[in-house]
Amino acid sequence: MIRIAFRILLHDAAKYLALVLGIAFATLLIGQQSAIFHSVVQSSTREILEASEADIWVMKPSVETLDQTDPMAELAVNRVRSVPGVAWAVPYYQAIAQLKTADGRSKSVTIIGVDETSLVAAPRTMLIGSLADLARPDAIFVDAAGFSTIFPDTPLATGATVEIGQRRAHVVGISHVGPSWTGLPRIHTRRSIAIEMARETINPVSYVLARAAPGHAPADVARAISAATGLQAHSSDGFRIQTQNWVLKYSGVAENFGITILMGVVIGVAIVGQTFYMFSIENLRQFAALKAIGVANHRILGMISIQALFVSVVGFCIGIGVASLFFAIFSPQLTGGLRGMFMHPAIFIGTGFFIVLITLISCLISVRRVLTVDPAIVFRS
Amino acid sequence: MSGVVCQQVAIEFPSAAGPIKVLKGVDFEARPGELTMLVGPSGCGKTTLISVIAGLLRGATGSVNVFGQQVTSLSNRQLVPFRLANIGFIFQQYNLLAGLSVIENAAVPLVAAGSPWPDALDAARDLLNTLGLTPHLTKLPRQLSGGQQQRVAIARALVHKPRLLLCDEPTAALDGKSGQAVMGLLRDLAVSPDRAAIVVTHDPRVYAYANRIAHMEDGLLVNVEEVLPAQLATTH
Ligand SMILES: Nc1ncnc2c1ncn2[C@@H]1O[C@H](COP(=O)(O)OP(=O)(O)OP(=O)(O)O)[C@@H](O)[C@H]1O
Ligand SMILES: [Mg+2]
Repeated sequence: MIRIAFRILLHDAAKYLALVLGIAFATLLIGQQSAIFHSVVQSSTREILEASEADIWVMKPSVETLDQTDPMAELAVNRVRSVPGVAWAVPYYQAIAQLKTADGRSKSVTIIGVDETSLVAAPRTMLIGSLADLARPDAIFVDAAGFSTIFPDTPLATGATVEIGQRRAHVVGISHVGPSWTGLPRIHTRRSIAIEMARETINPVSYVLARAAPGHAPADVARAISAATGLQAHSSDGFRIQTQNWVLKYSGVAENFGITILMGVVIGVAIVGQTFYMFSIENLRQFAALKAIGVANHRILGMISIQALFVSVVGFCIGIGVASLFFAIFSPQLTGGLRGMFMHPAIFIGTGFFIVLITLISCLISVRRVLTVDPAIVFRS
Repeated sequence: MSGVVCQQVAIEFPSAAGPIKVLKGVDFEARPGELTMLVGPSGCGKTTLISVIAGLLRGATGSVNVFGQQVTSLSNRQLVPFRLANIGFIFQQYNLLAGLSVIENAAVPLVAAGSPWPDALDAARDLLNTLGLTPHLTKLPRQLSGGQQQRVAIARALVHKPRLLLCDEPTAALDGKSGQAVMGLLRDLAVSPDRAAIVVTHDPRVYAYANRIAHMEDGLLVNVEEVLPAQLATTH
């Protein structure tokens, strides 16, 4: 019966093509937009993802999201250290400052001041230089994409001298980090230098990064820290979710991408439903003949499901292929929040399931006529 | 063997002006080993009667017995395998599957009944050969003439060796010569000692292929005429 299903489906090449292309287009829209959406939302939590040594983030109660820092006194670090269940705790400083190049150009950058001794939250991957270089006088790392915006048309290299917040600094390393939400170049340096760059007079800490002792759950330790210090504390996963939720709530990305993804769904359902409907109307007599001969409804349903499954898989492969090609070609050229965009395997699989599901549902709805057709019509001319 | 025995079969269809009685108590018989023709003016209920016999039309009263099975007492669910195992159909409009080749079309009832494709295709090939269609096995139905398509339909109707063959106006869409040829093949292939064949027709030119001709008028069987062997059309 599978062979019959395929023959009926492939016989009408134009309809088959319309089905496959409709599904491919819907897949492209849904898959690509979901992947961009995922990359964008993930970029809002970049620093949390990169400081993976820490599994607890501590901050002032007023902080709602990663980029909205509210400095605390350095004393907070010691208070966190004294909470039972904390293995270690280090200061972390983050601010936006103005960078000036030797030839006088100016650029906003994110400066990240990491703890001098532990270097927690320093970049993991260096393209040029090594982590140890951060100990050198006036040392800064610039991320590769940021370097290209600060020094256009210049090959990646260390050695440049810049001024950030009127403080001199030497580029001693080029880091490779994922895209950030703001799209600003990211400068990693020691916290003491970062504070001077931000022209702070006191000795502030943006976050205290901590790690739960073995055998303690980060979320439990975070609760203990809150209770003991009155500060806000989260496991890094918890803070990531809080930041993502904040971004989804206030930035409008969910609406923007949601509309496109919904469009993909509507187009997919409309094309598939419409084509399958026409398909079943035109083949009604053939299906009626099968029913008269003695093919049960559930087997006809099976044949139609196989047809739907087949076109949805073929359409999905084409659509996801085009989407992947898009990422492969354009991803290296993108800047800002879209830089380093990729398609998470979960989105690949999720889109696949979703496409198969909507195809199945829309064609099963549109072939009701086939199931309800009175086989006696085969005798009518 | 009993073949098809209908007693006092009646059915009515609802209409705006109240129910219309289309069959008004038909007594009809089709014996195994014979070709029975069902003839009568348009609208007298011929198609309705064979639809009831096939179990395609429910709601009739009276008794419809097909080779010992009371069709009216079967559920819709039981009717599907019953038709698949016992009945072959030939329609005026052929109703072949457009995407399937000639040989695949002829194999459909066997495949539907669970035979593997190779076996089903072998059986179809033999039958199509007898029907003179060997040069056309891999063609699609639309590449054939009407008469050739109807011969494919004959193969499809007989491939699973049903005990009852139901044909509704098998020659109506064909010119006289093709119609005669199709009827000749039907007689040769369809009539066998353990099979009953019922052919609904309007076409007096093919009456000669019948063993028995049942005349219907306005929902009733009015006369059954036996065709003597001497009058039977000789084929080939
Ligand atoms: N499903 C139905 N609903 C209502 N009326 C019907 C239905 N099926 C058939 N009829 C009516 O029943 C009558 C008999 O129809 P039927 O098709 O059995 O006639 P027939 O003898 O086969 O005619 P023909 O030679 O023209 O094919 C006709 O008046 C037809 O309009
Ligand atoms: Mg009729």
